[in-house]
Amino acid sequence: MDGRGTIELVGVFKRFGDGTVAVDGVNLKIADGAYCCLLGPSGCGKTTILRMIAGHETPTEGEILIGGENVVGLEPRRRGTAMMFQNYALFPHLSVRDNIAFALRAQGIERKERYRAADAVIEQVQLTALANRMPNQLSGGQQQRVALARAIVTKPRVLLLDEPLSALDEFLRLQMRSELREMQKRLGITFIHVTHTQLEAVAVAEQVVVMDKGRVEQASSARGIYADPASPYVARFMGGQNVLSGVVRSSGDGRAALTGAGGREFELTGQNRQLAAGSAVNFAVRRDEVVLAKAAAAPALGVNALRARVTMTEYQGTYVKVTLAIDLAPGEMNGADEFVAYVPEADFFAKAIQIGDAVVASWQTGSGRLLTGDANAFPRH
Amino acid sequence: MQTSSDRRPWTFYVLAAVFAVYVLFLYGPMFCIFVLSFQGPQGGLVFPMRGRGIFWFVQLVTQADTGDMIGAITRSIPLALIVMVLTVAVSVSAGLAFREKFRGAGVLFYLVVASLVAPGYVLGIGIGLMFQVFGLSTDWWSSALGAQLSWTLPFGLLIMFAVFGRLSRSYEEAARDMGLTRTATLWLVILPIVLPGIIAVALFGFTLSYDEFARTLQTTGGTNTLPIEIWSMTQNVTSPSIYALGTLTTIFSFVIIGISLSAVALIQRRRTGRLA
Amino acid sequence: MVPARTRLTLQVLPLVVVLLVFFVFPLLIVLAVSFFHYDDMGMKPGFTLENYAAVLDTGLTYRLYWSMIKFAVMTWACTLVIGFLVAYFLVFHVRSKLIAIGLFLVCTVPFWTSNIIRMISWLPLLGKQGLINSALVGTGVIHQPLQFLLFSDFSVVVSYVHIFTIFMIVPIFNTMSRIDRALFEAARDAGLSRLQTMLQVVIPLTRNGIALGSIFVVTLVMGDFYIVKVLSGGGRASILSAVYDDISTLLFPQAAAQSVFLIIIVMLMVGIILRVVDVRKELVDRQ
Repeated sequence: MDGRGTIELVGVFKRFGDGTVAVDGVNLKIADGAYCCLLGPSGCGKTTILRMIAGHETPTEGEILIGGENVVGLEPRRRGTAMMFQNYALFPHLSVRDNIAFALRAQGIERKERYRAADAVIEQVQLTALANRMPNQLSGGQQQRVALARAIVTKPRVLLLDEPLSALDEFLRLQMRSELREMQKRLGITFIHVTHTQLEAVAVAEQVVVMDKGRVEQASSARGIYADPASPYVARFMGGQNVLSGVVRSSGDGRAALTGAGGREFELTGQNRQLAAGSAVNFAVRRDEVVLAKAAAAPALGVNALRARVTMTEYQGTYVKVTLAIDLAPGEMNGADEFVAYVPEADFFAKAIQIGDAVVASWQTGSGRLLTGDANAFPRH
Repeated sequence: MQTSSDRRPWTFYVLAAVFAVYVLFLYGPMFCIFVLSFQGPQGGLVFPMRGRGIFWFVQLVTQADTGDMIGAITRSIPLALIVMVLTVAVSVSAGLAFREKFRGAGVLFYLVVASLVAPGYVLGIGIGLMFQVFGLSTDWWSSALGAQLSWTLPFGLLIMFAVFGRLSRSYEEAARDMGLTRTATLWLVILPIVLPGIIAVALFGFTLSYDEFARTLQTTGGTNTLPIEIWSMTQNVTSPSIYALGTLTTIFSFVIIGISLSAVALIQRRRTGRLA
Repeated sequence: MVPARTRLTLQVLPLVVVLLVFFVFPLLIVLAVSFFHYDDMGMKPGFTLENYAAVLDTGLTYRLYWSMIKFAVMTWACTLVIGFLVAYFLVFHVRSKLIAIGLFLVCTVPFWTSNIIRMISWLPLLGKQGLINSALVGTGVIHQPLQFLLFSDFSVVVSYVHIFTIFMIVPIFNTMSRIDRALFEAARDAGLSRLQTMLQVVIPLTRNGIALGSIFVVTLVMGDFYIVKVLSGGGRASILSAVYDDISTLLFPQAAAQSVFLIIIVMLMVGIILRVVDVRKELVDRQ
């Protein structure tokens, strides 16, 4: 790694001709040789960022640095990037081999040489038997491999992938997902992969960038995004977390004591911000760390516990997704967040939880994480 | 075994019958003159057939009263070729411009539509008068050529709109990614991909010119193109030689159409590998 | 690199030049000539409204417009019904896409052949001793040959429909092809009959194609003079055939005045249709 594949976005802002702001002041650093996913709902600006890095769009403001060099205004081909398009954009009039060798032809490399280079890449993606076929004669997965081969044949330092798996069926998607990961490891170049699927992002990427409305909500490791969301939006968008709120009673020494509606008591640890007493905060609780007990069997309500009723159960294989309706305190309004517990399969059936059951949901103090940012930011579905 | 959803609804048979009648209506008359052109010397303009042979075809090229057929053909075909080339070049170029936004695109579009729907004969009169005003003499390669372009270009452009409308922009972006210049992208990527559409424009350019009548009538000058020669035959020739001429030019048109469509089919087959 | 604006200008320049020189300018000349004086010696530049007065003064003009509008309406109705049914058959009833394309081409091929030949090809069929009359007399259906078949309004409309229906089929076919097939199942689920589906789902969705086809057919009928000239039996049956006669006798100013009127009427009709449907969207932004 010589840092040639490092990407940095500094204050990048993009407004389109019709006045819509697609990217609203993004700062982002992607390490050389990293697998980075830009994740967000459609219209969040992730594809625009990708296209600006590729040079197919120009930022209205800000700098884009590749390998430390500002590339704004530079022709796409001078950036050392290669893009894999959503629908692959394979040239229908060229065979697989010619498609892959095409970029080399553009560089003026002679026929024999470029075919040799193309054939080497074709072997890498295991398409040797299909080298003479036309794109329309290939299956979706094969077309995807050709697109990948075509993108890497010029040995780019950054590969940009625009929703690379969205055109494939579920089975192929899983297969190609691991192939992309393997290919990235083998090539050692930076991959930037745009997707709107949470599981896809956390499965492939080292760095996940969650975006909303043209801004970066959180950029972190896959585990960081999933297990330690920064904002209510990220927690809600990634799933796997319940978002709750409370008022700070006291805080210090990395601990905070909160009071929720109806006098419920919560405790958070591992946060080192000084919270003013009396301020309203949000926090997240991992769904798989919520423990359910039948209300009859539960002792008196302690800290980090709620009374609730089971409204839905959904079998997921290794666990059961149990949706709860929290028993409202007098005067409490029903929030927009649902409260869910992922109960291990064996546990669920041992406790014989049924829809309509009154339960107590509780968790360890260490399971709660403080969130910052807009409490009312919900992902659009 | 057929499931109920596989069985064709009764409307299929009704519409198939409508379609068949339409095709008969379309080709029947043409077939009649084709048959009637192969009559003997006693042949007339209507059935029944009187004698068999190619008498009227021979008559067509040897007899003076049928006009300067050969001359008309030697003008019509080069004219059609010139119109074809210009139509392809101009409509592809303008069609590419319409893919992007430019000032005046709206006005130009409506001008194109207006040129398409304006009465061609009036336009021919105007062009004839314009040449007269400037003291130029009308001829097939000047005034008639321009008159025909005002009709073939809108057609060519409409086809290019359809073709480019289906062409994903990611092809161009992919090519730019790979370092192709704009010119190289045009020649190595865009034009090869839309080649079938370009052949269609060429076919329209050629045949619309080759058969053009209304705009050409007042603009071709002293020497006639083929449709005008045929027109004057309808005014004064009452023998099956006019059918013979119809048969010949229709066969020629069919050959042109056949070549064009085969070329398109060949390209598509190469791209999909379908043995159609 | 050439700036985008210069490049785009160069790209559309040839089109603009051709349209200005061979469309806009000639029509302006026709407009100018329509105000010229004329006498037995020929026409003289000037400004007079006499030509328009002469055109508007004769009952003939109104009769010609009436007959032309009659032709246009009849042709439009016939081509619309045939075009819609043919397109409907090709799009929704032919299952193999390849066969649909093949049949579509069968409809299109005659378009690329000579209209004049296609027009005269009705002579051996519709004449007094033509195929249809001989067949009808031969089978005893009628005793006297039908006179109205040839050199009549009937033969004119038949030839128009013969030549112009393709202009209705193609746009309707195009818009119909873009209709999602699932809508049929949705309509059936909603309890709509076949006919209701056609009236309430298919026709509204093919509106743009129908409008575009209508523009073509109506303007083609209004712009024709040779079919009506030959097949109506030589009489004056449309404005342009009257213009043709004026031109033959070198009455340019009067012909020009007549033409200006016609163009205004044609453009008004097209304008009305364009108000109803965004044809530009239909033709340019198809994605």
